[in-house]
Amino acid sequence: MSPVKIRARHVRIASQGLFLVVFALLFVGLAVSLVPGALASALLALDPTAAVGTALADWTISGWTWAGLAVLAVTALLGRVFCGWICPLGTLQHLTSWIAGPERRKRPKINRYRPWFATKYVFLAVLLTWAVLGADHLGWLGPIPLLHRAAAGGLRPLWHGGLAPGGWLSFSLLLAVLLASAWMPRFFCRALCPLGALLGVTARLAPFRIRRGEAECSGCTLCVIPCQGADEPLGAHRVSECHVCLNCLPVCREASLRYGLPGAQQAPATPALDVGRRRFFLGVVGAAAIAPVLRAAGGGGGSRAHDAIRPPGALDEEAFLARCVTCGACVASCPTGVIISDLGRTGVEGLFTPVLDTRRGWCEPSCIRCGQVCPTGAIATLEPAAKQAIGGPAKVTVGTAFLDRGRCLPWAMDTPCIVCEEMCPTSPKAVWLEDTEVVGRNGAPVVVQKPHVQPEMCTGCGLCENRCPVGERAAIRVSSVGESRDPRNQMLQRRAH
Amino acid sequence: MSGDSHDRKAKDRLASRRELLGVFGPAALAMVGLGGVGTLLHGRAGRHRPPSAAIAPPPRDWRIETDRPGRVAVAGASGPRLNVRRAVAALGGMGAFVRAGERVLIKPNCAWDRTPEQAANTDPEVVAELVRLCLAAGAASVVVADNTCHDPDRTFARSGIAAAARAAGASVAHQRTAGTVRMALGGTRLGPWQVLRPVAEADRVINVPVVKQHSLTRATLGMKNWFGVVVGNRSSLHQRAPQVCAELGAAFRPTLTVVDATRVLARGGPTGGSLDLVSSPDLVAIATDPVAADAWGGSLLELDRHQLQHLAIAERLGLGTADWRSLLVQV
Repeated sequence: MSPVKIRARHVRIASQGLFLVVFALLFVGLAVSLVPGALASALLALDPTAAVGTALADWTISGWTWAGLAVLAVTALLGRVFCGWICPLGTLQHLTSWIAGPERRKRPKINRYRPWFATKYVFLAVLLTWAVLGADHLGWLGPIPLLHRAAAGGLRPLWHGGLAPGGWLSFSLLLAVLLASAWMPRFFCRALCPLGALLGVTARLAPFRIRRGEAECSGCTLCVIPCQGADEPLGAHRVSECHVCLNCLPVCREASLRYGLPGAQQAPATPALDVGRRRFFLGVVGAAAIAPVLRAAGGGGGSRAHDAIRPPGALDEEAFLARCVTCGACVASCPTGVIISDLGRTGVEGLFTPVLDTRRGWCEPSCIRCGQVCPTGAIATLEPAAKQAIGGPAKVTVGTAFLDRGRCLPWAMDTPCIVCEEMCPTSPKAVWLEDTEVVGRNGAPVVVQKPHVQPEMCTGCGLCENRCPVGERAAIRVSSVGESRDPRNQMLQRRAH
Repeated sequence: MSGDSHDRKAKDRLASRRELLGVFGPAALAMVGLGGVGTLLHGRAGRHRPPSAAIAPPPRDWRIETDRPGRVAVAGASGPRLNVRRAVAALGGMGAFVRAGERVLIKPNCAWDRTPEQAANTDPEVVAELVRLCLAAGAASVVVADNTCHDPDRTFARSGIAAAARAAGASVAHQRTAGTVRMALGGTRLGPWQVLRPVAEADRVINVPVVKQHSLTRATLGMKNWFGVVVGNRSSLHQRAPQVCAELGAAFRPTLTVVDATRVLARGGPTGGSLDLVSSPDLVAIATDPVAADAWGGSLLELDRHQLQHLAIAERLGLGTADWRSLLVQV
C-alpha cells in the first residue's frame, strides 16, 4: 500500500466533487440567467455523445461539441476517466451507493462482472444506427443530457415555471438511475449508459490501464469488492468496463496492481466485448427497421402536430432532430418557462425535445437565450431584432396565432375584451381590432372590438394566448404553421424574391 | 399471554397489571388518539375554504392634501430630470408630500420588454429624479415596483428603470420577487385582489404613468397604471375597463400622480415598438388630483372627457375633477 497510490484515489474523489459542484452551479446559473450561454453549452457538450450523435446525424461537429472529441481522445489514452472522475451522473450514483451503505455496495458478488453488462453496447449500436439514419437520440440516455434534463424539468419548476409531463418523466428517469445504483453500484454506467459503451470501446486502445503482476497476485479477490466498474482487475481485466476509480490499488495486499503503461511482462490480451456478432447485428438491423416508425410517429413537415412549436432559431425539423441532444439547456434557461421537454406532441422521435407551451409562458421579444445556451446549435443564436417584428414582419417566427371565434369574448359573447391586442408586441400589432356594434340579447346595442390576426406580422410569441382571459383553452392559440424555419409548414403565399 | 420468549410456565398464571398495560396500553392510546383527531376535525370547513373578503384590509389612503382642490403643475422643454424638479418645486417641493422616515413607493409603468426610446414604459430619468427627490426629502426607503407584462427581469433591465432607480438609491420590486398581500379593493367590479407587498406596506405612493394610446380605454394613464400593482388574472379586468379603471382609482389614492410625457405613444400602444410611433413632447405633469392628471394626459392625445370614459366615472366617485386647467399652478 504505497501512499502515492492512495493519494491518486483522493484526487479522483476531489475531481468528482469539483465537477459535481461545477455542474450544479451551471444548472443554477442557467436557471437564474447568470451563466453566459457559451460557457453553459461548453460544459454540456463535454458528453461525447453530443459530438458523435451530431456528426453521424447531421455531418457536423457543431458549436462546443468538439469538447466531447477531446474527452474521447483522452479516453483512448487513459481509459474511462470521464466515467470515474468527471461524469456528474456517475458521481451522483457513486454517492447514492455510498449512502446505501457498505453492506450493499461491498456485497461479495455485487461488483463482479456480468455478461448482461454488454447491453449498453447493444444500446449504443441501436442509437448510433438511428443517428446514421438522421435521428440523434443519444441524448435520451447520454448521462449529461439525462441529468441536466432532469434538473431542468424536475427541479427548476420548484421555483419557476411548472412541472410538465416531459420534465416529470425526465426526473423519474434520473430517480430510477439513482435508485438502481443503491441496489448495484453504478448499475446504469455498467449496463445501460451508451456513453459508457462508447468510452468502453475507445478505452480498449488505452495504454494506461490497471495492470496486474501475475507473480505477486494471490488471487484473493479483495480488489473486486470496492470496484466501481465491475471490470474484475483480478483476472482478465476488462479495460472497457474500468472507470479508473483506482479503488482496487490500495486494497491489494500484495501490491500486485498498478495503473500505468505495460511493464516488462507480456500484457494479457484485452478481453472481447460480450456482445457477439449476432446480438450486434440484431441491434443494428432492428434499429434500422424501427427508425422509419419513429419518424412516422414524430415530426417532419407532413406529420407535425399543430402545437409542436419549436423555440425561435430552431433549425428545420430534420436538422433540428439531427442535432437536439435533449439536454434541457433551453428549458432551464427560458426566463418565462414557455419551453418544456416534450412528451407526446412530436411523437416518439421528438421525446424530450423542446416545445413551447404558450399557456405556461411566452417567447420574450428581446430574448435569445435558448439559442445561446444550445450546445449543438439545434437552436441557432439569433440577433434579438430578428424575432421582434418591429416596423415589419419578423425574419424568425415560431408560428401563427389563430382566433377561436367560438370562445372569444367579443366574437362569441358580446363582451368587451382587447387583451390579445393589448399584449401583442409586434409593431404594427399583428392583432388588430374591428369596432362593431352588435345587438345584445335584450335588444340593446353593444359596441365591441373584435380581434383579428394579420398573419404576416405575427411571430407566434404566444403572449396573446398566455394572457387570454378564457381559461384552460384560450380563445386565441398559437399554431406552428407559418414558422420561418420550415418552408413547407406555411399557409400564405410569400412574395417571390 | 403466551410468554414464549420467557419460557416460563405461565399458562395458568394471571397476567400482571404491567403486562396488561403493555398489551392494552398502545391500543388504548391509539383509540383515544384517533377519537381525538376525529372529534377535532369532524365537520370542519376544511383547509381550502374560499377566502373571505372580510379579513382583507383596504389599501391605505396615501394622500396629503385631502381637504382642498387639487393642483396640477406642468413643466416642459427642459428634459425629464429638470421637468420633474420644476414641477415638484411648483407644488412646494417634495418635502410637502414625503416626510422624514416614510417609506415611499414609486409605481412607474414598467410593463414591457422595451427600451426607453420606444416609449412603452415610463422614462427611467423621470423615475430616478423622483427617487432622488424623495430621498432628499428624508424618505426612509424608496421602492420602485411594478407587475410587468413581459418577463420582469428583462423588462426592468431593458426599460432602464432598474439601473436608474438603483443608481438613485431606490430598490426594485416586481411580481417575482415582492410577494403579495390580499387586499379589499371594493367597488362593483373589483373585490379582493392580491396586491404587491411593497405597495401594501408603503406610507406614500407616487403613481408615474406614461402617456400611451390604448385600444380599450383610448389611453392608458394613471388609473390604468394601477393594473400593475395587482397580481392575478388581470386579463379579466378588461371587460368593463372604464369602470375598473375608475374603481382602481378609488381603491388606490396616491400622494402624487406624475404623468410622464417625455415621450408619447400616440398609436400602437401600449406596447409600441417602432420608433415611428413615438412623439417627444418633453412634458411632465404632476398632480395631486388623479382625475385631472389623467385628463391632462388625455389632452396630449386629443382625447376629451367623453372619449376617456373613466374620467366621468371617477368624478362621480369623488376622486377629483377632469377640469385640469382650473387646477394649473404656475411653474
